[in-house]
Amino acid sequence: MRLNDRIFGIFLIVLAVAYGWGATQLPVPFGGSGAVGPDTFPLLLAGLLGLSSLYLVVRPDPDNAWPWNRTGIELLIAVVVLVLYAMLLAPLGFIISTALAVGTLCWRMGSRPLRAYLTGLVSGVVVFLLFNFALDLALPLGLLGFWEMG
Amino acid sequence: METLGFLIDGFGVALAPHNLMFALLGAFLGTLIGALPGLGPANGVAILIPLAFSLGLPPETALIMLTSVYAGAMYGGRISSILLNIPGDEPAMMTCLDGYPMAQKGKAAEALAISAVASFIGSLVATIGLILLAPLLAKFALTFGPAEYFALFLLAFATLGGITGKNPVKTIVAACIGLMIATIGIDNTGVQRFTFGVLELYEGVDFIIAIVGLFAISELLFFIEARANGGTPKMAVNKLSLSFADIKAILPSSLRGGVLGFIAGVLPGAGASLGSFIGYTLEKKIVGKKGYFGEGDPRGVAGPEAGNNGASSGALVPMLTLGVPGSGTTAVLLALLISLNITPGPLMFTQNADIVWGVIAALLIGNFLLLLLNIPLVGIFVKLLSVPPMYLLPVVTMVAFVGIYSISNTTFDLYFMVAFGAAGYVLRKLEIPLVPVILGLLLGPEMEKNLRHALDIADGDWTVLWNSGLAISLWALAGIGLVLPYIVGPLLRRRMRQTAL
Repeated sequence: MRLNDRIFGIFLIVLAVAYGWGATQLPVPFGGSGAVGPDTFPLLLAGLLGLSSLYLVVRPDPDNAWPWNRTGIELLIAVVVLVLYAMLLAPLGFIISTALAVGTLCWRMGSRPLRAYLTGLVSGVVVFLLFNFALDLALPLGLLGFWEMG
Repeated sequence: METLGFLIDGFGVALAPHNLMFALLGAFLGTLIGALPGLGPANGVAILIPLAFSLGLPPETALIMLTSVYAGAMYGGRISSILLNIPGDEPAMMTCLDGYPMAQKGKAAEALAISAVASFIGSLVATIGLILLAPLLAKFALTFGPAEYFALFLLAFATLGGITGKNPVKTIVAACIGLMIATIGIDNTGVQRFTFGVLELYEGVDFIIAIVGLFAISELLFFIEARANGGTPKMAVNKLSLSFADIKAILPSSLRGGVLGFIAGVLPGAGASLGSFIGYTLEKKIVGKKGYFGEGDPRGVAGPEAGNNGASSGALVPMLTLGVPGSGTTAVLLALLISLNITPGPLMFTQNADIVWGVIAALLIGNFLLLLLNIPLVGIFVKLLSVPPMYLLPVVTMVAFVGIYSISNTTFDLYFMVAFGAAGYVLRKLEIPLVPVILGLLLGPEMEKNLRHALDIADGDWTVLWNSGLAISLWALAGIGLVLPYIVGPLLRRRMRQTAL
């Protein structure tokens, strides 16, 4: 099968056209643009990308298989964990969110759950202490914020 | 001897106690990064950049630490090659050929020590080469005008796929993607481009976030997919018994490997993998039937190790003098320079002489530190190597998160990084190389500036881009660089595979 490069090539051609069209819509800078404007370089890129993606569509390489199976779900879980980690870092605080995120990743990668979450907790605490005290960079405490009060 | 004076000043910078401390830390971390499978040198340096940045280290200290990481990673790659027959990074592949057989014969400690000495000699030779060649090249590059620079950037992209690269069209596609991302933001005439009104995009995409996402996060995803279950292999290292005669026996091999590696590193598109390959094949040719290559010949360990370490120092020549990196890891170092507000290129040798020479001196000192670290302390690295990746990779990912978060304290950057990671995974699946994307991001603004400058001077006459002899030669070289992999690539890849089997 040589579908990957074909589909990606078509996607890139659309991208190149949209990007090139976007470049022609750019306003002329204050005081006139002189010989070359802000659109010159983008138009050059759009042309080059368009041509090379056309080549990909016409002469694609053999495909690498996509993981349409359990591995694919594991990958999806990993991405979701990372997004949630980013989302919860500030509200939950660094230590709790790290324990959860690193723990879940370790667990999904094959560790036993208890050891996984323990790894998450220990690494979170160590990095937190290292950053806040040795390196003087404040990481959010979040839910554990009451510690600071004391 | 102008150079000597600068070098002595450089030693003054590099030997300052805190710089020395960070060099030692970098050398240690680098060896570790190189040794751990799934954490290549480019990846490792990328993760450490935001940390160096948010710690507010002075530029020379940050650079010294990360060049030590870079040098260390090249040392570290050999450990798993020798003990496990798994190269820690691509250039360490050739070290497996004789290193692993030596370990199987119960000579693991000797193989590790010999490879450390060979790495040291290779790096030393190449660093001397760097000291001699870089100032000359920088002086020559001062004659470059904007048109020549534009052609030089094209040359960098054209050769980045390397002689062993697969599909040059995919290199072009990758470079275009990177350059397009680089045009996001407000350009130097004050026009907003492709920001879609998103405030966070006005200043453009931060390439550090892109690099960490593309390397570190996509690596995690790739590992999850490729995860080979099974226990951690047991590794044992015997007690070292190495005589002076053993070291003397590998000296010529190491010297030859170092020189060849240096040349391979300086040349655009060749790089460390080719350096170690040439180092190995030359040794095999020269020693001939007297050797027992493939069955644990120490010279088969020394040649490629000296070669890949020589190449990694050689690769710094174009990066430091022209601002044009020849490999993924030097591209990441370039990212560090740019984010420290140092304009890479020939002017760096005059404007930031203390930094450049400090780094070069640090490279020399770093090699001594690495030799000291790698012979007595190799046992520690071996122990750390047996940490299973299912614990290691999540923790490394967390460190990447912390690093990015500590730069700006915004969640937006983290989402962006994860998005780049997912995109990096897809691109790798499609065999679109990631290094040109990063180089595009890094060089895009400079490349456009030179193009616009050249055209403005010539009143919009495009022929100005190939008006000088120098520019024409650069264009021609770029053309050759793009076409050559088609002709030589399959042949060379076959040779490398045959040797490896």
